[in-house]
Amino acid sequence: MQLSVFSPLLLVALILQTTILDAMSVAGVIPDLVLLLVVLNGFLLGPREGAFLGFAGGIVEDFFSGGYIGLNALSKMAAGYLAGIAGERLNRENITVATGVTFFSSLGGLIVNYLLLIYINVHIPPLYALFGVALPTAVYTAVITPLFFWRFFRLVQLRNRDL
Amino acid sequence: MRWVTAKRLILFAVLVAVTLAVIRVTAPEQARQAPLRSQFRDVLAPVQTGLTWLGKQGRYLISFPVSMIKATERSRALEQEVTRLEGQAVQMNEYVLENQRLAALLDYKQVMAKNYNFLIASVVGRDPGNWFGTIILNRGSKDGVKENMIALTPKGLVGRIVSVSGSTCEVLLFTDPRSGVGSLIQDIRTPGIVEGTAGSSGMARMINISNDAPVEIGQAVVTSGIGSVFPKGIPVGLISGIRKESSGLFFSADISPFADLNRLEEVFIVTSVNPGAIYPQGGG
Repeated sequence: MQLSVFSPLLLVALILQTTILDAMSVAGVIPDLVLLLVVLNGFLLGPREGAFLGFAGGIVEDFFSGGYIGLNALSKMAAGYLAGIAGERLNRENITVATGVTFFSSLGGLIVNYLLLIYINVHIPPLYALFGVALPTAVYTAVITPLFFWRFFRLVQLRNRDL
Repeated sequence: MRWVTAKRLILFAVLVAVTLAVIRVTAPEQARQAPLRSQFRDVLAPVQTGLTWLGKQGRYLISFPVSMIKATERSRALEQEVTRLEGQAVQMNEYVLENQRLAALLDYKQVMAKNYNFLIASVVGRDPGNWFGTIILNRGSKDGVKENMIALTPKGLVGRIVSVSGSTCEVLLFTDPRSGVGSLIQDIRTPGIVEGTAGSSGMARMINISNDAPVEIGQAVVTSGIGSVFPKGIPVGLISGIRKESSGLFFSADISPFADLNRLEEVFIVTSVNPGAIYPQGGG
């Protein structure tokens, strides 16, 4: 996906995530729209583009949230790359597969995020990190995948036709 | 290995190494807020305000048909009243205990609400992820907000302000894993440190509680005012679980905050302490 298409989608995702999605939080957890955007890109376009857009999306999120610059960049790069590898081996036109890939890639990215938190001395109890944050976020993000998948799929098809 | 592949791998390794180094040097507590980010946040603030309002309306619309119309509103109002009064009761208890201990020695006029000047602020955004717990408020340096001022609700503590732009500020919730609040268990006056677990949890834990202290579930925890920016006596939360730390020397306790940090809409920012207040404002 070209950056000209990815960037506005990313901005909308970030604004929604910091505002409206708060009202949809379940036990304090909100779905990660940027992660979903990155994973679907990787799944449909391959590991290289997934990793690149994951890094780009993550770094913008880092600037947006004012936290540690590079934290989301690396974790979302990992998620995009994992989704890309899965996309090369699995059926890209199956929504159930896409949902499963979103879950596992998101979980992978969130675990990388947790390891990076340890690296910067932010300590969260491991069981809580896994069962309180990583798994619920991955599940919630995967659950909303069907709402966006076909729109994304058509967007990528259109882009491929244009090239 | 082909040269092109090797070159890509080297580039990738360099990118990761540089990013890892950047993460270290851009820790929020080390780096000052970039002017560009401040301006960006100020520009986005009206959009965020509108969307947050939309989110609140959406939530209200979704809950509306499910509940009975007037009963929902009345029950919510009553719940708010009860939680407000519970917070007040804890605070009153704090005054009573404190007065009992100190009244004989000093003539303190100690009504916490009279000690502080407040500024009301609305929440316009929150951290986009689930690891950290920060919120954006619609008050900034133009309103006199400064770093390390504290944010609270009538129910209890919310957190402290960590960055300020012209018309917004960012609050680090005390449930954020980077936060630490010097606290004590109200009834038994045992000190400890309340630190966050993860932003989305809405929970915290109190560590370093002496293992000979009679800690019990349901006891209230308030700020101790020692060695922190938080004034003394602000309700923090209730103990909801107790366990022994691995060293065996201390207990740690799970804390359920008095303030519902996942559903914050308006908060108070303590802008100053009134003359005569006995509690310190700001500091290390």
